[in-house]
Amino acid sequence: MQMSGLPLETERLRLRTFQSADLDAVMGYHALPEVQRYLDWKARDRTEVRAALDVMRAQTRLTRPGDVLALAVCRLNDDTLIGQVTLRWTDATAAQAELRFVFNPAFRRQGYAREAVRAMLDLGFDQLALHRIFARCDASNQPSARLLRVLGMRLEAHFREHALFQGEWDEELHFAVLDREWLRGSKVKELTRNMVA
Amino acid sequence: MVYAPALPIETDRLRLRPFTRADVDAVFAYRRRDDVTEHLFDGPMSHETCTEVVQARIGQTALLAENDKLFLAVEAKRDHALIGEVSLILRDKGALQGEIGYIFHPDHHGEGFATEAAAQLLEMGFSGAGLHRIYARCAARNTASWRVMERLRMRREAHFREHAFVKGAWVEELVYAILETEWRQWPAR
Repeated sequence: MQMSGLPLETERLRLRTFQSADLDAVMGYHALPEVQRYLDWKARDRTEVRAALDVMRAQTRLTRPGDVLALAVCRLNDDTLIGQVTLRWTDATAAQAELRFVFNPAFRRQGYAREAVRAMLDLGFDQLALHRIFARCDASNQPSARLLRVLGMRLEAHFREHALFQGEWDEELHFAVLDREWLRGSKVKELTRNMVA
Repeated sequence: MVYAPALPIETDRLRLRPFTRADVDAVFAYRRRDDVTEHLFDGPMSHETCTEVVQARIGQTALLAENDKLFLAVEAKRDHALIGEVSLILRDKGALQGEIGYIFHPDHHGEGFATEAAAQLLEMGFSGAGLHRIYARCAARNTASWRVMERLRMRREAHFREHAFVKGAWVEELVYAILETEWRQWPAR
């Protein structure tokens, strides 16, 4: 799949690929225990975070199933990196991808995650022509579950005690949205502006 | 964990036993049918494929490693006819997760045989293999299949919409599951 239109810009944010200079900013949230719990990789110290960043820096396009597009989310006004949104192409035949996001807790509760995730879903459906995008989230992670719901994703699964995580039973939610169900962010915005004007 | 049940196992009306080479024709009788395979990932089988499948199942009667499968032929006690097949798969050894499956000849649908055999499988999975959670999957359109899961008091944990594209069509999949504690609490048994 061709990657054009990067970086993405929204009202307050820019979504761009990662750079080596992002280490401190990424360290600022990856290494936090509450964030670490939801990552698939170890990021406890500078060496481990650098390794994670090196992987993410190479995740700039979706060429074959399994590939990940990793985008850093930066504020437009001061260029602060506040988190990340990724899309993993899981299935070419059925045009499916998995969305993930991680934000620095210091910048929460301002609607940034919603704005960034919405832009990534727009990209997935409009540019990558995906059919369905899904996201998994721990059942105890209320803020993430709420965000996915607010964006209009449907709760498709609640797996109870389906795995062990650090010695405890894990509960997992799956949310998903189909291309024809997705309300494009930009179109909605234009419509609202026109109606206001 | 090693689970190698003593076979055959009998329920009220059924006998669950290992497959033998002599089962090929009886299995082919339902595996060749469109109305059986329309809800499966496999298409209708040729007799040759069916022979290979049955041959492979003869030795699959124990669970040791992850993704090991226990396949049993289901016989009606009344006439010893093979009417279907059931499976128990070890999906996660650490978290003690298993998956059950069942396929029955359409001539024997509606008699509660699948429910009777699947209940026995759940009992084997929990009491025999010591599993913590057992799940089953089916196509959302396969009403007969998910009704069996509901009769077994399994919970609908997932309804995936258009998450796969198989044999030229979008697939909707249901996942039902039951925990060991829930199975023990079921008073109706």
